[in-house]
Amino acid sequence: MYGFEAITAHNGWSMAIAGASIVFSGLVILSLAISQLHKLLTIWENKKNFFNRNKQTSVNSTEEVLDLNLPERFPSDINEAARLYHPLVKKLGQPFQLVQLYEVSRKKGFPHPHLTISLLRQAKVLVPEGDGVFFWNHPSYQ
Amino acid sequence: MDLLFQFLSNTGYFLADYRHIIMIVVGSVFIYLGTAKSYEPLLLVPIGFGILVGNIPFFKGFGLGIYESNSVLHYLYFGVTTGLYPSIVFLGLGAMTDFSSLLARPILMLLGAAAQMGIYFTLLGALGLGFLPKEAASIAIIGGADGPTSIFLTAKLAPHLIGPIAIAAYSYMALIPVIQPPIMRLLTTRKERLIRMPELRAVPKRERIIFPAVALFLSCFLAPASIPLLGMFFFGNFLKECGVTERLAQTARTSIIDTATILLGLTVGASTQGDVFLNPKSIGIFFLGAFAFSLATASGIIFAKLMNLILKEKINPLLGAAGVSAVPGSAREVHLMGQREDRNNYLLMHAMACNSSGVIGSAICAGILWSFMMVS
Repeated sequence: MYGFEAITAHNGWSMAIAGASIVFSGLVILSLAISQLHKLLTIWENKKNFFNRNKQTSVNSTEEVLDLNLPERFPSDINEAARLYHPLVKKLGQPFQLVQLYEVSRKKGFPHPHLTISLLRQAKVLVPEGDGVFFWNHPSYQ
Repeated sequence: MDLLFQFLSNTGYFLADYRHIIMIVVGSVFIYLGTAKSYEPLLLVPIGFGILVGNIPFFKGFGLGIYESNSVLHYLYFGVTTGLYPSIVFLGLGAMTDFSSLLARPILMLLGAAAQMGIYFTLLGALGLGFLPKEAASIAIIGGADGPTSIFLTAKLAPHLIGPIAIAAYSYMALIPVIQPPIMRLLTTRKERLIRMPELRAVPKRERIIFPAVALFLSCFLAPASIPLLGMFFFGNFLKECGVTERLAQTARTSIIDTATILLGLTVGASTQGDVFLNPKSIGIFFLGAFAFSLATASGIIFAKLMNLILKEKINPLLGAAGVSAVPGSAREVHLMGQREDRNNYLLMHAMACNSSGVIGSAICAGILWSFMMVS
């Protein structure tokens, strides 16, 4: 058997079309995958920055809420200072690094954060646990 | 006196016939091309010498010939018939291959895919000429222009054709400088050949490490029958890229691939015993092999031209000719052709991207054809 008759009898047309389609689609998928590879790797390499950015965005959103109630001057009343700082502490979670609280309050634009935090420490609202780690302890704002 | 006559009647001089002489001439031509002309010497010299060894006439039944079950050559030939040597060669190839250019320009992989179309056209041609499906599939894979892949598939589907198919595949690979340039000139205009390719981006190490795993999964899940080739290929590449197995990669791309190539070439050459090799089928295989190779080259070029119809950043269509997996011969030829038109046009790295995708493509095709033949 020869010619088109032989090709048809041995299923040649189907094999050729299916084979060509499979190898072509396979290599197209592979090329698409490798064209995205460097993008995935970039995300992977920058994942710390990516998550930090998310965290910062969350903190900023908290701060934006706080902005509404932020006094223009340093709060002399300890309860007022506790009321302002309590949302930040909640966001950081217990226990937290005092330096973190300072950073967040400074970025947010709290008036005299260093002074306020000192005041909170003296009033035992911020309780040291050692190695710069603190607990929040205020009867009204827990 | 009887003893002397008996001895003389068993010598090669007495047993030789015209077929042995023809094959010895063919073997000598291979050695000449390999040594004097430097056409793929690492392949043609072992194969050529194997042809000489395999065509020294001998007294059948002594356990000397490659097709006699208890001969040394037969044991060495075991690596061919089981597909062992091609797999080992792929391991070494993987440890040699740098996929940076392909990773930098993944779209060039499509040219490697397009060049595989020659395989399927040849499949139709071989069936039309009256070859059985398994034989036709083995002949068609010559269009992939990959010697180890051709041998691997033929060993699985039509072991009686290993000799002619291997010789055809390697001959055409060696004759790339003769076969491809006329097709490239015929199918491209000067303006197209002058197209310059942009500089490739630097590919980070981590990308090159992950690529073998991604490619292994995507290609072998699609065609599991190509695992013996692509599994070893990507393993070799991972050894090269991971950075902690440099010693293994070095061994794979030197001692291991060299040993496999020597044994593969010698035994494939020796399998071309004149009385087995010289028949009308072999002539048909040579004819179809040339057809497959030319068609594969043309498919790649035409597909590149088609891509240019939709791409903003044009591709030099010569690169399509490097989609066949003859590494690095076809890439070199594309580069030289580009430089003949413009000495400052550097196409080599882009052509290597097409070449390496051609290796993957032809191995996938081998897996697909093997699966088809097992099903039908």
